[in-house]
Amino acid sequence: MWWRHAHHVLPVSHMRRRPANMEAETAATGAGKPGKRLPTVPESVLKKRKTLQRIREARATATATAKKVRPFLTCRGYLLSSIKLRVSTFQVQKQKRKDIFKRAEKYVKEYRKNERDEIRLRREAKRYGNFYVPDEPKLAFIIRIRGINGVSPKVRKILQLLRLRQIHNGQFVRLNKATINMLRIVEPYIAFGYPNLKTVRELVYKRGFGKVSHQRVALTDNAIIEKALGRHGIICVEDLIHEIFTVGPHFKEANNFLWPFKLSSPRGGFRKKLNHFVEGGDYGNREEHLNQLVKRMI
Amino acid sequence: MAAARPQVYIYSNDDSKPTSQISLPAVFKTPIRSDLVNFVHTNMAKNHRQPYAVSKKAGHQTSAESWGTGRAVARIPRVRGGGTHRSGQGAFGNMCRGGRMFAPTKTWRRWHRKINIKQRRFAVASALAASSLPALVMAHGHRIEKIPEVPLVVSNGIENIDKTKQAVKLLEQLNAAADVERSKASRKVRAGKGKMRNRRHVQRKGPLVIYNEDNGIRKAFRNIPGVDTCSVERLNLLQLAPGGHLGRFCIWSEAAFQKLDDVFGTTKKKSQQKKDFMLPRSKLFTDIQRIINSDEVQKVIRPKRRKPKRAAIKKNPLKNPFVMHKLNPFSTVTKRAALKKHGLAK
Repeated sequence: MWWRHAHHVLPVSHMRRRPANMEAETAATGAGKPGKRLPTVPESVLKKRKTLQRIREARATATATAKKVRPFLTCRGYLLSSIKLRVSTFQVQKQKRKDIFKRAEKYVKEYRKNERDEIRLRREAKRYGNFYVPDEPKLAFIIRIRGINGVSPKVRKILQLLRLRQIHNGQFVRLNKATINMLRIVEPYIAFGYPNLKTVRELVYKRGFGKVSHQRVALTDNAIIEKALGRHGIICVEDLIHEIFTVGPHFKEANNFLWPFKLSSPRGGFRKKLNHFVEGGDYGNREEHLNQLVKRMI
Repeated sequence: MAAARPQVYIYSNDDSKPTSQISLPAVFKTPIRSDLVNFVHTNMAKNHRQPYAVSKKAGHQTSAESWGTGRAVARIPRVRGGGTHRSGQGAFGNMCRGGRMFAPTKTWRRWHRKINIKQRRFAVASALAASSLPALVMAHGHRIEKIPEVPLVVSNGIENIDKTKQAVKLLEQLNAAADVERSKASRKVRAGKGKMRNRRHVQRKGPLVIYNEDNGIRKAFRNIPGVDTCSVERLNLLQLAPGGHLGRFCIWSEAAFQKLDDVFGTTKKKSQQKKDFMLPRSKLFTDIQRIINSDEVQKVIRPKRRKPKRAAIKKNPLKNPFVMHKLNPFSTVTKRAALKKHGLAK
């Protein structure tokens, strides 16, 4: 009946206002001693103060000890997420930022180098009358073009395996014999092609969400990526993009970490969903033209 | 906490100043069971219903017979004879004009409800308990902002008041006039057909004046709008919890207040007036504050979380340079280089 004490209107006797355990006290102490002064601070308040004090002290000692511990660096250069050092001191963060900066720089150089290499090799081949056969594409980006209804079982299963459960869902996929055959089966349901760096970057930055304990979490911080993929040496968004674009050794983990991209309907529309791209429609492999489609859907 | 019985002031009926004190009767500590009160109220309210029914003969005062098939009309019984509009019209069926209704209402419908006596008594006790909580009384709608105390007990002189003028003056002195005003102001013509069925007006309920001995009090308070009177020995749930809602504003006479312990008893002592009745005890220990602040609980609770972790709003790094920088510190360098190249930055 706590409200009884809260809402009483004037003039209520003192006896009414006192909280419960005070009444118990007065009954015990005040009964036989009419002249004795009653304690002014209720017992419950005193107890609460004590516990708060205890908590504050515990917190103070915890932070003091934490500051003394040094972070230790592994061969990959970073804190293993399995080590439960919740040490986010300023120094560690600073070091991380430096590292991320350097990696990003390295990647920029690498991408540029690869691009120029391609061009150089083509030119050289032309010069000497040879043929330059570029690598077959390793990475594809698939978009599911068709809806849920009336899908045959084999196609349905493969789309599930590719994590394309919804229309306009997109997914990166490594191209090998296995996956190419899968794509062939589901061809009428997807549009796919070979994304360029810009497409990969934009997808990850704008529509990138990670799978963190079964939840779709936005990539708002490198810490999220580091926590999930730190053990593979991927600690920031640029690392992730690099892994995807160059189909690195941990492509599987990186790609799996990325939740399937939820794209918009293409601005300007499709040409004809029911036909292959080659026939003037939209489905199937459209190779480099995918980048334009993604640009309209992102 | 539930066992504690605070003192209640008694207010003089002459000048509404607190005179003596009286210990709160045990009834006011009964567990408040709004569900029970609602149940008992809905059933009790059915008990003053008057039966209604359609006439037994309605719709059957014809000798209609079906024409059968083959006459290009529906097979409904039709009125015989001729020379009038009525002849040949359908009769008897609920779909026919002038036919009897589907399932004609009967007077032997079960109008009244039996309620277990224990439930009835518990409900009244609960309603009384609710009337002693200012929050509930206010929630019920009564204007009790200025009254001196809840429950409001007035000295026995109130029972001897026999002039309405005096009664009104008393209510004003007690600051209960606001509630009476509310009732008066709310008098309106009823919406619906009730208005032509002798239930023309509706208004809010005002205070309920509870007395022990009627020495004129009933007649005095009778004409004041919204005010009801009730003997303490015959407390009525329909008045204590109008509409099934708890928290009627009650004004007690001192004698009535004192009598409550006799009428209802306590959780340990049987009632003098109600046979085999003791106040019900609550099944749960309801003093939440006491439980929370107890040692047993305080020992094991964790410290309060500093700040709850909330999901960050995702901003598009491709458009928002600060977010981009957070994710990729090198991006500012590349952007700058690009701008330089196009001569847009130094």
